[in-house]
Amino acid sequence: MKRLLVVLLVLTLAFAVMGTPAAAQKKGEPVRIGMYLPMTGGVAAYGQMEHAGVLVANKMQPTVLGRPIELFLVDTKSDKIEAANAVDRLIKKEKVKAIIGEAISGNTLAGGPIADKSKVPMVSPTATNPLVTQNREYVFRVCFIDPFQGEMAAKYAFDVLGARKAAMMIDIGQDYCVGLGNFFAKSFIKQGGKIVAMTYCQTGDQDFTAQLSTIMAAKPDVLYLPNYYTEVALTCKQANELGLKVPVFTADGAQAPELLSIGGKDVEGVILTAHFAKEAAVTELSRQYVANYEKETGKEASGFDALGADAYFLILDAMTRAKSTDGPKVREALANTKNFNGVSGIINVGPDGNAVKSLVLLHVKDGKFQYLATVNP
Amino acid sequence: MDEHHRRNQIFSIIAVACLFLFLLSMHLYADDYQIRILNNIALFIILAVSYNLINGVTGQFSLEPNAFVAIGAYTSALLTLTPAEKQMAFIIEPIIWPLSVIHVPFFLSLIAAGVVTAFFGFLMGFPVFRVRGDYLAIVTLGFGEVVRVVANNTQTITNGPLGLKGLANYTNLWWSWGIAAFTVFYIARLVRSSYGMAMKAVKYDEAAAESIGINAFKHKMLAFTTSAFFEGIGGGLLAHLITTISPTLFTFFLTFNLLIMIVAGGLGSITGSVIAAVVITWGGEALRVVEEPIRLGFIEIPGIPGMRMVLFSLILVLVMIFARQGLMGTREFTWNGLFRKIRAWTHRTAKES
Repeated sequence: MKRLLVVLLVLTLAFAVMGTPAAAQKKGEPVRIGMYLPMTGGVAAYGQMEHAGVLVANKMQPTVLGRPIELFLVDTKSDKIEAANAVDRLIKKEKVKAIIGEAISGNTLAGGPIADKSKVPMVSPTATNPLVTQNREYVFRVCFIDPFQGEMAAKYAFDVLGARKAAMMIDIGQDYCVGLGNFFAKSFIKQGGKIVAMTYCQTGDQDFTAQLSTIMAAKPDVLYLPNYYTEVALTCKQANELGLKVPVFTADGAQAPELLSIGGKDVEGVILTAHFAKEAAVTELSRQYVANYEKETGKEASGFDALGADAYFLILDAMTRAKSTDGPKVREALANTKNFNGVSGIINVGPDGNAVKSLVLLHVKDGKFQYLATVNP
Repeated sequence: MDEHHRRNQIFSIIAVACLFLFLLSMHLYADDYQIRILNNIALFIILAVSYNLINGVTGQFSLEPNAFVAIGAYTSALLTLTPAEKQMAFIIEPIIWPLSVIHVPFFLSLIAAGVVTAFFGFLMGFPVFRVRGDYLAIVTLGFGEVVRVVANNTQTITNGPLGLKGLANYTNLWWSWGIAAFTVFYIARLVRSSYGMAMKAVKYDEAAAESIGINAFKHKMLAFTTSAFFEGIGGGLLAHLITTISPTLFTFFLTFNLLIMIVAGGLGSITGSVIAAVVITWGGEALRVVEEPIRLGFIEIPGIPGMRMVLFSLILVLVMIFARQGLMGTREFTWNGLFRKIRAWTHRTAKES
């Protein structure tokens, strides 16, 4: 009896496995979507988070136009040359209809022209450099851009915090930090504020007391740190030791659990601009996604994976509206995305390829990131 | 002059013609992906062979090619971008005056890239060759870092972290392979000249070389500056191949890749560098297969990103165990050597039968 049960079970399983491709073929050829992401190398963490987000999204919505979706992942090793190779490979060898990637701007800049040339739409989850979509017909993104983030941070500091004098410390070893810092400074001055102290550090620095002394002497109303979480956490620790009592403002690069674990009590009250917050999940899709993501991975959903999922959902939405997987038609649909209810909020995409969407403000309270406000463009 | 000189010349011409025919057929029939890999191969041949001149032939272990490639890439890119494109890309600060209006053809920009990089290499040579061995490696490594940080922060020249984009895709098979062939030819001739002999002497024993009247510093500088010249040209080609550059491209990992190539190929062997550049660049793409999910009937093994790096490390470990000196050691490919091998082989088979 037992043996019979086992045999039956195996047989049903076998049929179930065989059944899927047969059923899929009836519905039509799979739609191939490529991903080129940094799964290894310097920024592997971003690529892996985004990949996880896309996979969860794919489980939630595995078909488009009645056809199953087949995902292809190509690793870029966090490198430009490999990123260009990867896009050519996805288009020429795997014949994908749309591409998700890359996680960082420099690599998306390398992949973009190839997508343009082959007329394959590309959606980047997190490339925030404004040049990425400039003059690129087929390149889109679901994140906001650095000038927007810098401008909104400057506005918030000026209007809500009432700051007139800002001090800054920029990590000059990171392109993201230098870029964002510049955009913030430009906007803050335009608002009528003044940058009273501009100091610099390098990734991996441990001691910021010299810069903080300069900042203290300048008596700022706010300290803006457009840096990654490690440097931000250490800066906050030393600022507290020195007795610098001004609000610390940082950005999406600091939205990591490590900020809390390294910074501890000293990062309490830190304000940051971010792409996504679980608490600010405004759409039905984001609520479903957050639940699914936690069920699948056992981890909390964060900005990177949410934006990875958004890139996937946006492509599917465009294909559905275009009623086709044809490159130019999907591109048309993407360029006319109006009020798309994505995971990270309501997304509008214009012909310039940039997402117009709201930004969330978080602050650290009781050792956790907590939702503060949503800022609309 | 040896007795086979004429025969060897004819064979060299045939080999070049074969390469030309191969490239022509690829140009006509290959798809973009295959052409991109071929371009990458040529590019890494240029970079590896010129890096080998200072590291392998002259024996000065230095770690600066990412700096040289960066200087070359920025020089060439800033010269070929049109004034309108530059104005559009520099959104934080406008570009400084002479660069904002200059616009030259691709070939001139490559020459400029080589000359400017050689000039920087020349300047850098004075301080760095005051030290030797590990210290030289550290000092040159620092130089690479400095160039990257400067590129990140000179907003008005390099556009800082935003990088440059929209470069015309000038680098095609003819440019990349033409320059690769020229680099190999030039450096091979240099190594065989009396300068090259002196460089090798410096490598094996600097004190002994000095005692027979070789100016070690001068020959190190010559190797370093020549290496910089070709690295710079390689940088220009690289910029116009991927059509965008930013400081993140020129991290230490670029140097590290080249170092793997010249060590695996054999320090001091041009042939080895060429073989390693071809195998590693092509292999990196070919091995992507191991990262893809494998479907075996019912079972599906999910792909593991990074697998090819594991395989690569294994291959490198094996090379280091079974060929301590790299694939070629310090040996070079020559027609005479090839014919000797063929003759020996035919003799042996004739005897056996």
